[in-house]
Amino acid sequence: MPGANRLTLDATLGERHDLRYTPAGIPAVECTLRHASLQAEAGGERSVECELFAVAYGDVATALSRVSPGSALRVRGFLARRYRTGITVALHINEFAMNEGN
Amino acid sequence: MGIARVALPVAAHAEFDYWAPSGLGIAVGSVVRVQLARRALVGVVVALSDTSEVETARLQPVTEVVAELPPLPDDLLAVARFIAGYYQEPLGQVLAQMLPPLENAPVSQRRAEALAGPLALTAAGMRELPPRLRRSPRLAELFDRWRAAAGGVLTELELQALPPRLRTTLRAWLQAGWLEPAAAAPDPAADGPELNADQQRAAAAIIAAGGRFAPFLLQGVTGSGKTAVYLAAAAAVIAGGAQALVLVPEINLTPQFERRVLAALPGRRVVTLHSGLAAGARRRRWLAAATGVADVVLGTRLAGFAPLPRLGLIVVDEEHDPSYKQQDVVRYHGRDVAIWRARLRAVPVVLGTATPALETLRHVQDGRYVRLNLPQRAVADARLPTLALAPDRGEAVYDGMGARLLAAIEARLARGEQSLVFINRRGYSPSLLCASCGWQAGCPRCSARLVVHRDAFELRCHHCGHRERLARACPQCGNVDLLPMGHGTQRLERALAERFPSARIARVDRDSTRREGAFAAIREQVHAGDIDIMVGTQMLAKGHDFPRLTLVGVLGADNALYSADFRATERLGALLFQVAGRAGRAGLPGEVIVQTSFPEHPLFRALLHHDYDDLAAALMDERRVAGLPPFSRLALLTAEAPQRETVDGFLAAAQQAGLLLRRDLRLAVEVFSPVAAALARRAGQERGQVLVRSDERAALQRFLAAWREAIAALPGRRVRWALDVDPMGFA
Repeated sequence: MPGANRLTLDATLGERHDLRYTPAGIPAVECTLRHASLQAEAGGERSVECELFAVAYGDVATALSRVSPGSALRVRGFLARRYRTGITVALHINEFAMNEGN
Repeated sequence: MGIARVALPVAAHAEFDYWAPSGLGIAVGSVVRVQLARRALVGVVVALSDTSEVETARLQPVTEVVAELPPLPDDLLAVARFIAGYYQEPLGQVLAQMLPPLENAPVSQRRAEALAGPLALTAAGMRELPPRLRRSPRLAELFDRWRAAAGGVLTELELQALPPRLRTTLRAWLQAGWLEPAAAAPDPAADGPELNADQQRAAAAIIAAGGRFAPFLLQGVTGSGKTAVYLAAAAAVIAGGAQALVLVPEINLTPQFERRVLAALPGRRVVTLHSGLAAGARRRRWLAAATGVADVVLGTRLAGFAPLPRLGLIVVDEEHDPSYKQQDVVRYHGRDVAIWRARLRAVPVVLGTATPALETLRHVQDGRYVRLNLPQRAVADARLPTLALAPDRGEAVYDGMGARLLAAIEARLARGEQSLVFINRRGYSPSLLCASCGWQAGCPRCSARLVVHRDAFELRCHHCGHRERLARACPQCGNVDLLPMGHGTQRLERALAERFPSARIARVDRDSTRREGAFAAIREQVHAGDIDIMVGTQMLAKGHDFPRLTLVGVLGADNALYSADFRATERLGALLFQVAGRAGRAGLPGEVIVQTSFPEHPLFRALLHHDYDDLAAALMDERRVAGLPPFSRLALLTAEAPQRETVDGFLAAAQQAGLLLRRDLRLAVEVFSPVAAALARRAGQERGQVLVRSDERAALQRFLAAWREAIAALPGRRVRWALDVDPMGFA
């Protein structure tokens, strides 16, 4: 079905802004996520690293605002354009869980 | 048979003939009740005649003469005719503006009868009140204030600022004889030192012109003591047995002015007249003016219509202020009408301001008005504030406020002085944007954006009053992260509170002062030193002295520079010079910081040198080149209707009619093509306009009279239209 846009990512929480509120009073938080893993590609295995801009709203934002930077997380969400003009994307976090250990 | 020609408050440009039964004692100027098509109306007799074009059998009698009001004097009838002719308004409607509300007129239910002030405590009150006030701290506090007030007198505006319940109590005190009307409040402290040499020269010139028409421009920076000059001239005029008329733009904003008038003219009867008065009070004061009981009539533009049998001097304070122009019902300019009246009555008229209107300056240049300068601040140790321009954008800007301004505020907080942050925009932010899809919150009934009012969780239209709940998410794409764009007073208030958590901040705008007495309460707090930072709109610019205010920051000044309105820069200039004048008036040096992206603009260069004449000269050149007032005369035909085609069709027909008239009458008048108004749709009405320009006033007047009739004859009944002569802008 066209419309699939789900991303699951294990990442550590990078820089995180303070919790803010939209004019209608919805909590919002912005952060960066740092990802590192081994992935299969062209018949071999390789290491991957990336950083991703992410946002969360509502209860997820409130919960995320209590997580300290450096924590390991498994986040699920969808991708959307970060600015109206441009091609950078942001991960909109729908849910997240703390990853125990490594 | 006696015929009375009566002007009635109807849209038609016509007077109506009635039979004047001889027993009623009808005279020219009499205010009468008549029937018009089974409606009972109040009108004014403008002529008496023996004959009428109406058949005698069809003539109706005048019902009665309104007993409460004397006939309007000749000069007011002449002023009314001037307004009707010059501004193309029906004579009956003009005259209706001149009358006070009558006995059986509908009285606003909300407004309690105003206490006629000023009031003083009597000896009985001093003696008998204290034991009765032990249980009521509020009344005890009021009593103490009374005893502490200069001359033991509270002025009318101070009384009006009290909560309604307290005023009810005061009426009871008045009846019990604990209070009495005071003729005036002798208050030597308020009057300051003697007139300085400039002030004396100015006052002497005005006094010497007594008994003839002599227009003066009294130009002086804020704090230069213009009021003392008016009052010296008024005192001399009154001592000679005449009355003085003093007009101010907005009386409720200038209670200090009333106090000073009372203080400077002890024993004289001063009445205030403005639209905020209850019907009865307004009528009584109008009568006090008309019967010659009042020595001074102080009020807004409507006070200019009070009958004044002994008129000897007219003063128009802040003559440049746009609120002298009435924008609805009858469109007239209160200052210009006052000048006309001074001419009719052969009395001097003084136009006072720090920032003269360009029209006024042109009259000075042409030698028609005499300029009197007050170049220095009247209080010896009061110096002009230092001025600085600061960037309006960039990294160092914290919620609209730059590093320089924030540091200056911080320094004031440390010294216990007060700061004012001025931005001419109320609300939280002037628009709400979806960064994801580009949607902006717009008014469904106007071509305008909705303003975020965050404290009420609302979006509001500042043009039509439309309100809606702040959207949870973008209605177009669902994004919840909607961004408030730009700054209003609420946003600055919040940002300042975050930045300076211990500062006491007061916001002054139309939203925060809606409640009766709210503004007066804030003003008292500021005077008492209970406020550190004020954030406010132009309400704060006008005529308030805050002795501990030493810093004024101006934000959003550039907005006016982008305006399509040809008067926008002049208005901004007047406002900035006035706001700048708020800083440092009583011995403490003041500082003004204006944030702008255009530091090279002539407006700001003039401001830096405290030289309004510099700015005026630059603006004059612009106007001369563009052929705009005061180098030409303008009139604007405005029209509105629910459908765009209706408005455009009507205006096109009006333009055609105008072009034909111009040709037939051979008049040097330009008739421009119809254009949509700057706010093309308001409250569901599509709006448009046709501009007319001429270099010759007489030609424009002849043209307008004929054009108005031609427009009235056009088909298209569903269009509401009006002619605005000398429009304040292209709104």
